[in-house]
Amino acid sequence: MAYPHVFSPGRIGSLTAKNRIKYAATESNFNTQDGFVTDREIAYLEAQARGGAGIVTTQGAYPDKGGEGKGFRGTMSISDDRFIPGLARLAKVIKDNGALAACQILHCGREGGVDLGYCLMPSVVPQRLSYFKPPREITPAEITQAVRDHVAAAKRAVAAGYDIIELSGIVGYLISTFISRYTNKRQDEYGGEAVRERCRLMVEILGGIKAEVGDKVPVGIRLCGAEILDDRGGNTLEESIESFRIAEGAGADYVSVTVGWHESSISVITRDVPMGHWLWVAEAVKKAVNVPVMMAFRLFLPDIPEKAIADGAIDFWEACRPMIADPELPRKAAEGREAEIIPCIACNLCFSRLYYHQPIMCTVRPSLGHEKEEPWGYRGFAQAPKRKRIGVVGGGPAGLQYAAVAARRGHDVFLWDTHTSLGGSILLASQIDRGEEELLRPIRYLEGECRKAGVEIGLGQECAPEMLRDRHLDVMTVATGARFKTLPAIPSLTPEQIISQGKKPGEAVLIVGGDGVGLAVAVYLLHHGAYRITLVEESGKLGRDVSPFYLWRFLKLFRERGVTLLTRAQIAKGPGKTCSISSPKGEKMIEVDDVVVALRQARDDARAVFADCAPEVYVIGDARRPRRLHNAIHEGYRSGMRI
Amino acid sequence: MIPLIDEDACTGCKKCLEVCPPQAIVLKDGKARVEEDFCEECGFCAAECPAAAICIPFEKSGD
Repeated sequence: MAYPHVFSPGRIGSLTAKNRIKYAATESNFNTQDGFVTDREIAYLEAQARGGAGIVTTQGAYPDKGGEGKGFRGTMSISDDRFIPGLARLAKVIKDNGALAACQILHCGREGGVDLGYCLMPSVVPQRLSYFKPPREITPAEITQAVRDHVAAAKRAVAAGYDIIELSGIVGYLISTFISRYTNKRQDEYGGEAVRERCRLMVEILGGIKAEVGDKVPVGIRLCGAEILDDRGGNTLEESIESFRIAEGAGADYVSVTVGWHESSISVITRDVPMGHWLWVAEAVKKAVNVPVMMAFRLFLPDIPEKAIADGAIDFWEACRPMIADPELPRKAAEGREAEIIPCIACNLCFSRLYYHQPIMCTVRPSLGHEKEEPWGYRGFAQAPKRKRIGVVGGGPAGLQYAAVAARRGHDVFLWDTHTSLGGSILLASQIDRGEEELLRPIRYLEGECRKAGVEIGLGQECAPEMLRDRHLDVMTVATGARFKTLPAIPSLTPEQIISQGKKPGEAVLIVGGDGVGLAVAVYLLHHGAYRITLVEESGKLGRDVSPFYLWRFLKLFRERGVTLLTRAQIAKGPGKTCSISSPKGEKMIEVDDVVVALRQARDDARAVFADCAPEVYVIGDARRPRRLHNAIHEGYRSGMRI
Repeated sequence: MIPLIDEDACTGCKKCLEVCPPQAIVLKDGKARVEEDFCEECGFCAAECPAAAICIPFEKSGD
């Protein structure tokens, strides 16, 4: 066994998990607006349990009837007995597939009240993130009710057949807002200078649940090990660690260590944070308590938790995003098939969609949410009715994903790329910033999938239509990526020339285009020299296609480095080295050494160009319309399903 | 879930066009219209619409 510690049994209270992997609670927005579990949620968690994790945790269910604890539109409820049948079906599919079933109870506090006009907090501390509801101070009577709600919810979880109860007191959720000095300014017995006083709500909830069901099931809690709210007067590290000791004292059978609040102002879970970066926080908690310690947070590759468990930093490896990307991660790791694990790229597409009332989606796993729908091939694809010879031009994410699915369905697939490496535009994207090389992981994974499925790959090959005509193809699919635009009368460089061909522009650079490509060029240049950058965007929005988890950091870098950003701007060539820019801020002439045009366009002529290569011709990915990575992968996948 | 646009409420301000990552919204006869083939169901348009003319059709009840 390659990971002897990860795959050794682990104790939780009186229970034994078959290994140290816990699928951690993840909201999905798969459930109904009034809190009932759906078949989609059940199919998803069934996949998680089948994948081989020792423990599978449900998403956090809200315990209160009024929905003040509800943080997402499609969150399941545990606030009434009528929810028990759905919760029981969920527990059953988890247990039937060999995992311990943990039910999380979650009152979202500062992030709650998604369907209401307010949220509840110990004290009114204004929101920093615009998405959340205006806070109202929770009354003593409401606190008493919240404790009762949690205890009643735990009894329902036991009635529904769960093995483990988990509470969540992290990131701005109710329990965490009481524990943190940033949000708890109360003068009554639920607040105070000492962290023990601010932990009173947690102690009453934990104590209440333990008294009611503690003889039947272990009860664990997730708490924040490092709030990263120093700039807002949050807890010290010592106070946070103390909260775990207090939880243990109140009867917690295990603790899960998390890092950061949603409003923390540094990166916590994005690609710029190295894998394993936060283990020191878990280690500090581990030294303070005698119950099992768990952690998620950028532990994406099994050798990292393996070492952490061996070193005594953690007892259990929790995974949310890596297992959204691949529920089969535990089994593949156990069988030494690491290259087959669909790799999470920490893009946070899943997470960010929740705030827009959309079900989670995964860039690298299009089958997410379709685990029980046969055409999506989560458990393997059925063979296509007619075996075809398919040619694919372009070995970027769209072409690779398409080829892999088409070949899995029994087609004979040939894929060509003019470059000597696979990856398409990801070869550029992977070079722009720290951590971005992780974007190459799904490319390597897809290459492996293609090779296993028998796709014939030709690299460094000219893909001219006249050379493909005598291949007797039934289908020709064009996935060559977008074309970079040029502007008439303005000599310019392309992002490709700068990032992959080593072309160094002069010091004063004008970047035309403010979507992800333009911002990426600016970030790349700022990491490679003392450039003075002006970036112009025609629309009113910068980074329209950039994840908010990454955009804020780019904008911060631009502020620090004095990049001039102009929206609703038009440029025209002036005399000599000048360009004129007109925007709502007025008309101005600037001197530029080089212009970089970071605008992409579809290959509108592709269908015509390849028309006589095969009876059927399709255009997919950025060649069809320049978009983001997940669009390319998903379009490739869906097209492969259909062909 | 593909957003639903209430054409009576839409003012044609184009805010949704600007925030749509795959540029899947077009203006037709002064009203926003979703190109469903390109829509990635992100919900940004609904969140940004100043006229509250766009909604995400969430499955309401499982009772």
